[in-house]
Amino acid sequence: MAGTLGIKLARIAIVVAVFAAWELLSRTGIVNPRLLPSASDTLATLWELLQRSSVHNDLAVTASEVLIAFILAVPCGTAIGFMIAENRYFAEVAKPLLFFAFSIPKSIFLPMFILVFGVGFSQKVGFGFFSTIFIVIMSTTTAVESVKVDHLTVARSYGATPLQTAFRVYLPSMLPVLLEALRISMIFNLTGVILAEMYASRDGIGHQIATWGENFQMKQLLAGVVMIAAIAMTFNELVRSVETRCSHWRT
Amino acid sequence: MQPLANVTPLKHPLRAGAIKVSNLSQVFKTSTQDVVALSDISLDIKPGRFVVLVGPSGCGKSTLLMMMAGLRQQTEGTILINDAPIPQPDPNRVGVVFQEPSLFPWLTAEENVEFPLALRGVAKAERRAKAEDALKLVGLEGFGKRHPHELSGGMKQRVSIARGMVQDPPVLLMDEPFAALDEQTRMTMGDELLRIWAATGKTVVFVTHSLTEAVYLADEVIVMSARPGRIVDQLTIPLPRPRTYEMLSGDTFGTLRDRIWRHIRKSA
Repeated sequence: MAGTLGIKLARIAIVVAVFAAWELLSRTGIVNPRLLPSASDTLATLWELLQRSSVHNDLAVTASEVLIAFILAVPCGTAIGFMIAENRYFAEVAKPLLFFAFSIPKSIFLPMFILVFGVGFSQKVGFGFFSTIFIVIMSTTTAVESVKVDHLTVARSYGATPLQTAFRVYLPSMLPVLLEALRISMIFNLTGVILAEMYASRDGIGHQIATWGENFQMKQLLAGVVMIAAIAMTFNELVRSVETRCSHWRT
Repeated sequence: MQPLANVTPLKHPLRAGAIKVSNLSQVFKTSTQDVVALSDISLDIKPGRFVVLVGPSGCGKSTLLMMMAGLRQQTEGTILINDAPIPQPDPNRVGVVFQEPSLFPWLTAEENVEFPLALRGVAKAERRAKAEDALKLVGLEGFGKRHPHELSGGMKQRVSIARGMVQDPPVLLMDEPFAALDEQTRMTMGDELLRIWAATGKTVVFVTHSLTEAVYLADEVIVMSARPGRIVDQLTIPLPRPRTYEMLSGDTFGTLRDRIWRHIRKSA
C-alpha cells in the first residue's frame, strides 16, 4: 500500500507540478488572475480566513451538523443492515428496495427537506442522515456476509455463547469492511450537509463558499475549496491508516 | 520446527475416550422425497485407538464426524462419548480439527490456540502456558507471535491441531485435515500426527479420501458406501508402529489398500 520511495516521490512531484502550473498560469496572465487567483495568493487568503472568527463559527456549525448526522446515521444504518443480513425474510423483502432507493440521487429531495425542516440546523442534519444511511445499510449487509461460516463453526464447536460469537467472531471479521463503510459514508455525509448549506442556509462553511462564489470573491472561494478538501482528505486518511492495519484478515 | 525428541507430552497423557455409535440413521427431507444419508451405523471405538473413516464422496463420513462433535443431530440412534450423549458441542470431551485450518486471522497463533480457553474464562497466564505447551507439542515452539498469514499451510494446520488439543479432550475428531495440503507436506503431517497421538494417547477419529493415508495412519479403517451411507467393511491394520515410509511399498500395505479400493469402486 505504502509504495516504494520512487512511487512516493512521483506522487509528491505531481502535487507540486499542479500547484506550480496553477501559480504560473495565473502569474503570467495566461488565465485571467481574476478568474484564477494564484496558488500563493489563495493559500495566503486561506491563512487569513483561518484567523477570522466568522469562519471559525461557520466551521463549527458545519462540523456539528456533520457529526450529529453521522452519529445518528451510522448506528441506525448498522442496526438495519444487521437485521437485513441476519434475517432471510427481511433480506428478500428489503434488499431490492434498498438498491432502488440507493440509485436515486439524494439531491433531488433537498427542496422537500427545506419544506419540512426549514433552512436551519435540523434540515442539514436530516439531509446528511438521509444521504448517509443507505450506504451504511448496504455496507453493513456486506460486512455481515463477509463473516466466514468456517469461523462460526469453529466458535460453535468450542462452545461459544451467542454473545461471545458476536464479540469474538462477528465484530473482528466485520471490522475491515465496517471501517471502509465508515470512510465512504463520511464522504456521502459531508457532501449532503455541504450541499444543503450551499442550497439554502444562513451559516455554515458551505453557505460561505456559495456566497463567495455569487460575489465573485475568487480568492476566498478557492481558499474555501482547499480548506474543505484538506479536512475531508485528513479524515479519510485517518480511517484508512487503521484500515490497512487490519487488511491482512480481509481475504 | 522442533526435532521430535525434544517434545514434552501434554500434562495428562493417556487420557482417552470411548465412542459408541448405535443404530444411527440420518434422513434429509426434501420436497420430493426422503434422502437417507446414513443408514444403521453402529461402531465401537475403544479408548486410545486411531480410527479412520473412508468412503466415496457423499457417503456421509463427514456428517457422521460432525454428529460425534455435537455439531449436527442424527434422525435416529445414539452416540455416546465416554458413556454420555453429545447433544451439543462439548470441548471438554471432543476437540475438532476441520479441513480448512479456519484460524482467526486477527489473532496470533498462540491467541488462536488459546481461543477455546478464553471462551471459558481461563486466566491469561494459565491460557498462555497451555497454548505454549500445545504449540510445542505440534512442533511450533517460537511461532506463537505470528499471525496466520505469516504461516505456511502445514503450519496453519498444526496450529489448528494445537487448538483442538489445548483443552486436552479425550477425543480428537479430524475432518480431512490434510486434504488441502500438497503431497510432501501431507506425508510429513501424517508422521507428525502419529507422533502427537503417540505422545498423548488420545482417541482419534480421522476422515479422509486418501486410501494410502487411511492405511498408513490407522489402527482400524472403517469403509463406508454411498447412498445410503453404510459401513461395508471394518479392517484392523496389523502393521507395527511406528509406521515407516518403507511399509508403503510392502505387500501387506498393498493388499489392505486394494481391499478398501474394491469396496469403494463398487459403491461409486
